[in-house]
Amino acid sequence: MAKIKALVVDDSKIMRSAVKRALNNLMLAEFEYVEAKDGEDAFEKFNEEIEIMFVDWNMPNMTGVEFSQAIREEGYDHIPIIMVTAEKSMGKVDKALNEGGANEYITKPFTADKMHKAISGYFDDDGAIAGSDDGDDEEEKSFFKGILNS
Amino acid sequence: MKLAQIDQLDRIPVELEEKVRESVLNTFESILSEKLEYVKEENADGPLNGIIGNVTVFNAEHTISLMLAIPKDTALFLSKVFIGIELPFESDDMGDLVGEVSNILAGDVAANVEKVGFRGQSSLPTATRGSDLTLFMPSKPPTKKMKFASDNTSFLLTMVLSESN
Repeated sequence: MAKIKALVVDDSKIMRSAVKRALNNLMLAEFEYVEAKDGEDAFEKFNEEIEIMFVDWNMPNMTGVEFSQAIREEGYDHIPIIMVTAEKSMGKVDKALNEGGANEYITKPFTADKMHKAISGYFDDDGAIAGSDDGDDEEEKSFFKGILNS
Repeated sequence: MKLAQIDQLDRIPVELEEKVRESVLNTFESILSEKLEYVKEENADGPLNGIIGNVTVFNAEHTISLMLAIPKDTALFLSKVFIGIELPFESDDMGDLVGEVSNILAGDVAANVEKVGFRGQSSLPTATRGSDLTLFMPSKPPTKKMKFASDNTSFLLTMVLSESN
């Protein structure tokens, strides 16, 4: 299996551990993790080797949506951004996916099944990133996937 | 829902109370994977040995403050179901866990109270650990104490509605 470099951003160490544990248990790929405690920290630690990102919303200094926007503005449109957040209202989901440029939206508390549904499409059978689903059908984007995953 | 001036309210509007109660049940049942019940008319004034999680859902006019009072045994059980291992009660990770649970609850509350017209966002949570803690709120704003229990847990939620400053 290829080793995927994943950036896990959450101000809670417990949640970063929960995300890493869920990813390891899914066995979609072998991961190497970079952890960040807020958006600002994530922006500093971000590098071109990062292949997928799991980002919380509500964090001090720089929120997950602000971080995602910043990354997209830097031109990294191909890296899947998975929002993993307690924010559940439709307006928030919409904002994360449309303004923040997130690809998927998972609400906390999440189950392994929820995580699998959201991210399995991003990995090929060899455990490599298959590329983000940036097809032209915006309606198919995770707006509804996110709702189903919640 | 148009809220009156806080000083004209003698209690929290029932629809807000119900939505918060619903959120507690949904959130904790998801985390605990066991049936949680609202315990009516429970005296919630006893001293606490445990952890308090504080978080708010607020907008420009009003703030809903949520204070979760989690006894030690419940906190230990929560850690077991949430991360798979029982965390030491005195550890920083335990505070982190209760803060995160409060954050998850606030996210659900924010989405749920929006259904009855309270549009707000959640704050960052804080957690406080201690023994013989007595919970009290300034008496002026409308306050509701609620107790919840499941097979392995028991905890209190104090909800306060106040004006945003």
